[in-house]
Amino acid sequence: MRGLAAHSNGFHSIRSLSILMSILGTIDRPGGFRHKAPFPRPIPPCAKTPTGPEGVQPNTPLAGMPLGWPADPDDLFVDEQGEPVRIDKAFSWEHPLAVHGLMHNVITNAWRGDPYKIDTLMIFMANMAWNSSMNTVDVRQMLNDKDENGEFKIPFLVVCDAFQSEMVAFADLVLPDTTYLERHDVMSMLDRPISEYDGPVDSVRVPVVPPKGECKPFQEVLIELGTRLKLPAFTHEDGSRKFRDYPDFVINYETAPGSGIGFLAGWRGKGGEKFMKGEPNPSQWELYEKNNCVFHYELPRSYQYMRNWNQGYLRWAQDHSLTRYAEPINIHIYSEVLQKFRLAAQGRTPGGRVPPERLRKRVDTYFDPLPFYYEPLEAQYSDKHRYPLNALTQRPMAMYHSWDSQNAWLRQIHTYNYLYVNAQTAQAAGIVDGGWMWAESQWGKVRCLCRYSQAVEPGTVWTWNAVGKAAGAWGLSPQANESQQGFLLNHLISEELPAHSAGEHISNSDPVTGQAGWYDVRVRIYPTDAEEPEVSSPQFEPLQPVPGQSKRPSWLAWFAGGKKGHR
Amino acid sequence: MTQLALVIDLNVCVGCHACVTSCKQWNTSGPAGYMSDDNPYDKDPTGTFFNRVQTFEVGDYPNTETVHFPKSCLHCEDPPCVPVCPTGASYKRESDGIVLVDYDKCIGCKYCSWACPYGMREIDEHQKVMKKCTLCVDRIYDTSLPEAERKPACVMACPTNARLFGDVHDPESEVSLAIRERGGYPLMPEWGTKPANHYLPRRKTRITIHEDELIRADNPLKKERKQAPHTIEGPTLDDSTMW
Ligand code: SF4
Ligand code: SF4
Repeated sequence: MRGLAAHSNGFHSIRSLSILMSILGTIDRPGGFRHKAPFPRPIPPCAKTPTGPEGVQPNTPLAGMPLGWPADPDDLFVDEQGEPVRIDKAFSWEHPLAVHGLMHNVITNAWRGDPYKIDTLMIFMANMAWNSSMNTVDVRQMLNDKDENGEFKIPFLVVCDAFQSEMVAFADLVLPDTTYLERHDVMSMLDRPISEYDGPVDSVRVPVVPPKGECKPFQEVLIELGTRLKLPAFTHEDGSRKFRDYPDFVINYETAPGSGIGFLAGWRGKGGEKFMKGEPNPSQWELYEKNNCVFHYELPRSYQYMRNWNQGYLRWAQDHSLTRYAEPINIHIYSEVLQKFRLAAQGRTPGGRVPPERLRKRVDTYFDPLPFYYEPLEAQYSDKHRYPLNALTQRPMAMYHSWDSQNAWLRQIHTYNYLYVNAQTAQAAGIVDGGWMWAESQWGKVRCLCRYSQAVEPGTVWTWNAVGKAAGAWGLSPQANESQQGFLLNHLISEELPAHSAGEHISNSDPVTGQAGWYDVRVRIYPTDAEEPEVSSPQFEPLQPVPGQSKRPSWLAWFAGGKKGHR
Repeated sequence: MTQLALVIDLNVCVGCHACVTSCKQWNTSGPAGYMSDDNPYDKDPTGTFFNRVQTFEVGDYPNTETVHFPKSCLHCEDPPCVPVCPTGASYKRESDGIVLVDYDKCIGCKYCSWACPYGMREIDEHQKVMKKCTLCVDRIYDTSLPEAERKPACVMACPTNARLFGDVHDPESEVSLAIRERGGYPLMPEWGTKPANHYLPRRKTRITIHEDELIRADNPLKKERKQAPHTIEGPTLDDSTMW
């Protein structure tokens, strides 16, 4: 995630913005911040995770949701001492409202065995050995590190990916995934649908070409695993298989037996006559396909605005089971939820849960019921005289959300990346436009190419994320520009804050939500010496081609086989 | 006489390159293809594109703008690339003003690319013929496509509707209106090539708030009456969504 939220002060910054919008009266008003179904939604009440170690038992389903919305210290997922239960420490006093989890800390925590050791790590479409990790150099070492008995600290690593990524190179078992063109997918009402302002929308993908080789959609793998492990969601009482495959699962899964709520909101009911809620429809996929793979329900005009307080809309949402209550959904300007955590930290909730001593001040400070500005945590622990500049990244639009930016056309658009530096800042540091330079933080340094810019403020430098690749990865030649001139800024950031009063290994994240402080880093820049090699740094041992990997042609001429006029 | 052309709005182009890749996708498989790529997975990849987006900065910090500038053949009304062609391979169509290359006649001498002041032609090093934008001539008349899709691939792909397509000689067409009313301009008119494609300039956006818009005349708070509470049985979405 990028933008205002992706910093360790992101929660309060976004809350300030939301409150400003609320005070201006622009929430769900024309031209303002419009809601998309299933929002607005009240908090509380909402889904919850387990609240203690007893919620996790061998051979037993989790006693709660894997992710949830704590609204009270009693909702936290902590042990007797108030310490984290989850491997990512989400929903603990360190990051109480970690509604997305803290994936960026899982490898480091597992490597350290804090709060526990793991035997298997399974990764799907996340390049944790490269641009999806902070502190990439060390994380790569952790993935291969051994304990005093010579055993791997992370013993078994399963990676599911459609490409030969940097992460795949670390895998003990590779599950070759398909691309989007080769599988069924849903953009479901249960998980970030593509709704429009005028009403709920969800959509599907259907395969347009058969999978290559032994590739299998990851969803199919999970269903197969769930079925073979006899997880209750995937098996009948007698242990027999519940779902044939993923398409069958999408049609027939319901949030609770007979709830009528499933992955897809459109064409529910036996004959497809219902929407949002209704019995599973065996021809739901065909109906989506017939309708360009999209379901869109347009709300009556009078339900399209002011939905927090729009009685017609709330009644509609309740009747269609989007929400349990048709009560107004009030905006918390002063947050009672935050204040409950703060009172606990202040020891003013007799008999209630309290944060461990080391975290009391932190919770007291950051659970302010009204938003406030503070300097990002990492910057608070940085020497700003030595490291005067902010550094950050963004994804280039031509590659946004593309998992295969190494493809022959996209890589011609962005073949390698520069560090963009305000011309005056660069000149003051003695760095020439297009020249080699170093950017260094308290955590590490990278050698890269400089590009002067007038479109960045003098105190900030930035680059495109994930254009730089490791030599030999993604099927590219080890000489490809991506690895020799391109670079990754992740080497300059850390997944943990320097040791301080709140703990030795506190995640570099927002103290309220656990949202990664992706770019709170401070850097200094200087030119390279004349005798240095003109190649980006750090470099890694080039990945060797794997058996069966196709040879790289010296030139290409794509010709799609379709008939004329056939799309 | 018809003159088909693109009108590209620089005020809304965000530089996403969707037009670049969709152009290549359509044309590499059509009569104007293929569009080859050299060193596709190696050092210094390079290839043929009929449409490219160039990004540049204007002004000094803090008064800076970043301009994304899509470039393709402008289908000039007086195209210097045509008369220089020794074989007649480069030609301008009477019927719709599209400038095309007949690959069967082209000998790859590159005269036309020297003559084009805009650098819009690309030699294909493998087929040894000159290539460039065809305005998707193989789409726009294809009656097997729904009428709304008989447009160049780049126009279909643009997420910001920065690209308009139509007849600049029809004074009432969308493109003519855009040129007339929104300051459309051709590139380097001093060369006398009369480009058919036009660009719409960057604009400053200012908002004006009228005081009477700040007061809500139809406040429904005054009209509502109490309704009986309403409950439903069974699970709801907010019991089970985690995000
Ligand atoms: S832009 Fe260049 S190639 Fe296109 S018609 Fe004009 S002169 Fe010819
Ligand atoms: S698709 Fe549209 S917005 Fe994107 S680069 Fe092309 S003209 Fe600009």
